[in-house]
Amino acid sequence: MNKRKVIEKIMLGVISSLAIISAIPIFAIIINIYSEGARHLTLNFLIDLPPPPVSGKSGGIGPALVGSLILTSLAVAIGGSIGFFTGLYLSEFSHTRLAHYTQIFLQIMVEFPTIIIGLFAYMVLVAPLKRFNALAGAFALSIVIIPYIALNVREAYRSIPYTLKEAAFSLGVSAPIAYLRILLSTARRGVLTALLIGMAKAAGETAPLLLTILGTTFTYFGGLDQPINAIPLLIYNFALSPYERWHQVAWGAAAVLLTITLMIFIISRLVVREVKV
Amino acid sequence: MNWAIEVNNLNVWYGDKHVIKNVSFKVPKNIIFAVMGPSGCGKSTLLRAMNRLLELNPYARVEGQVKINGIDVYSDNVDITWVRRQFGMVFQIPNPFPHLSIYENVALGPKLNGLVKDRSELDELVKQALQQAYLWDEVKNDLKKPASMLSGGQQQRLCIARALALKPKIILMDEPTANLDPVASSKIEELMLELKEEYTIIIVTHNPQQAARISDYVAFLYMGELIEIGETSMVFTRPRNALTEKYVVGRMG
Repeated sequence: MNKRKVIEKIMLGVISSLAIISAIPIFAIIINIYSEGARHLTLNFLIDLPPPPVSGKSGGIGPALVGSLILTSLAVAIGGSIGFFTGLYLSEFSHTRLAHYTQIFLQIMVEFPTIIIGLFAYMVLVAPLKRFNALAGAFALSIVIIPYIALNVREAYRSIPYTLKEAAFSLGVSAPIAYLRILLSTARRGVLTALLIGMAKAAGETAPLLLTILGTTFTYFGGLDQPINAIPLLIYNFALSPYERWHQVAWGAAAVLLTITLMIFIISRLVVREVKV
Repeated sequence: MNWAIEVNNLNVWYGDKHVIKNVSFKVPKNIIFAVMGPSGCGKSTLLRAMNRLLELNPYARVEGQVKINGIDVYSDNVDITWVRRQFGMVFQIPNPFPHLSIYENVALGPKLNGLVKDRSELDELVKQALQQAYLWDEVKNDLKKPASMLSGGQQQRLCIARALALKPKIILMDEPTANLDPVASSKIEELMLELKEEYTIIIVTHNPQQAARISDYVAFLYMGELIEIGETSMVFTRPRNALTEKYVVGRMG
């Protein structure tokens, strides 16, 4: 073997090892979280109230799970609608100056520190009401996910072949009907993927919730104008507490959150794969 | 004479590029009118200017008149969706909606435009359109299957059925056989001869032989200008313009 081939082999080896190293954290995280948290994954853990700090039953994350479901649904409903129509506009009116600047703003928003968005929600919806509340949390999460959804919906609509757009409009229908009744089903997988990405993001964010929902421990849901809890926030609060029992709940909650995220990821991959067929 | 369509001083620009230059012509009813010319001469643009599909392109600008039954499709009080419904359009690449079934592809237009009262009326309309497009016998047992399972030629006839289901007055065809094999192409041509009994057909083609085979009247478009127009037999046997002659004898692609 000549020198050039030896060097080539070595370089390939180095690059492959680096690729493997970069994948280590994700496996390490998954193994770590499930080894500590998997034993908590029971139906009761999902439904029950958290345990008292020092004695009594083992408890669960019922209020935080309910809160996460409510906040995520609201965020996807609000941020999803706004993001969807923004994405549609960006795709179909890409020649306008408004679309050009909106796109730049959205790309900046993707990189925005989410704690700042939480602070903004505090100013707009918490301070005036003089109370931490679920709506402020949902509002903050909506803002976080709008750019993700808008930019992905834009891609979904852009990928529709021009000839299908012409076919839709040649039927003599109005633009809303063409885009929403005919072409949406052509782009449905891309749009669905956009919403799933937004959902995963909303379910996993902590920072926007710190300054908005406070985090209840023993109440499931008291109304949108009341404090509420969410799984990421519960993990943060319980992991910082001095109680070993709450540390255990935090591990379990982390396993639940990871499972939800992985499930959304797997579903969106399956959706994407279907597109290629 | 009662014309199917009258085009007066039509000009189209894409940005600064002048692509249709002061074109005027009239098309009698129930004939096949062919617009022929080399690639890039503005044929497809001309077709899309008639049913205002051109407005999907934000950079396109149109001046002039296109009249159907005496109504200018570009006048302010005319609704663009009404204009498009007066035309059925068939495209160069067969473009049925791939996620919809064969039935739904045909039913969609009438359904969204409220052309039918109930399901049975819709069924009847779909059947009629598919029969008119010579496709019914081939697909009557597969109506629920996706349109994408059909062959290219069948897909194009499905697109013709989709256009017919709107009950248009005029059918616009943009090189409808350019992507089909000879057998499928000749089927479409036979179908067009059949359809002109009921409709006026305007077909765009880059193939002078096709224009000679099927059209009654023909226009020759070159670099956005209407060079010659007349009865097909005349234009092909005694062209008045040297450019037309060059084109019809095949010395210009």
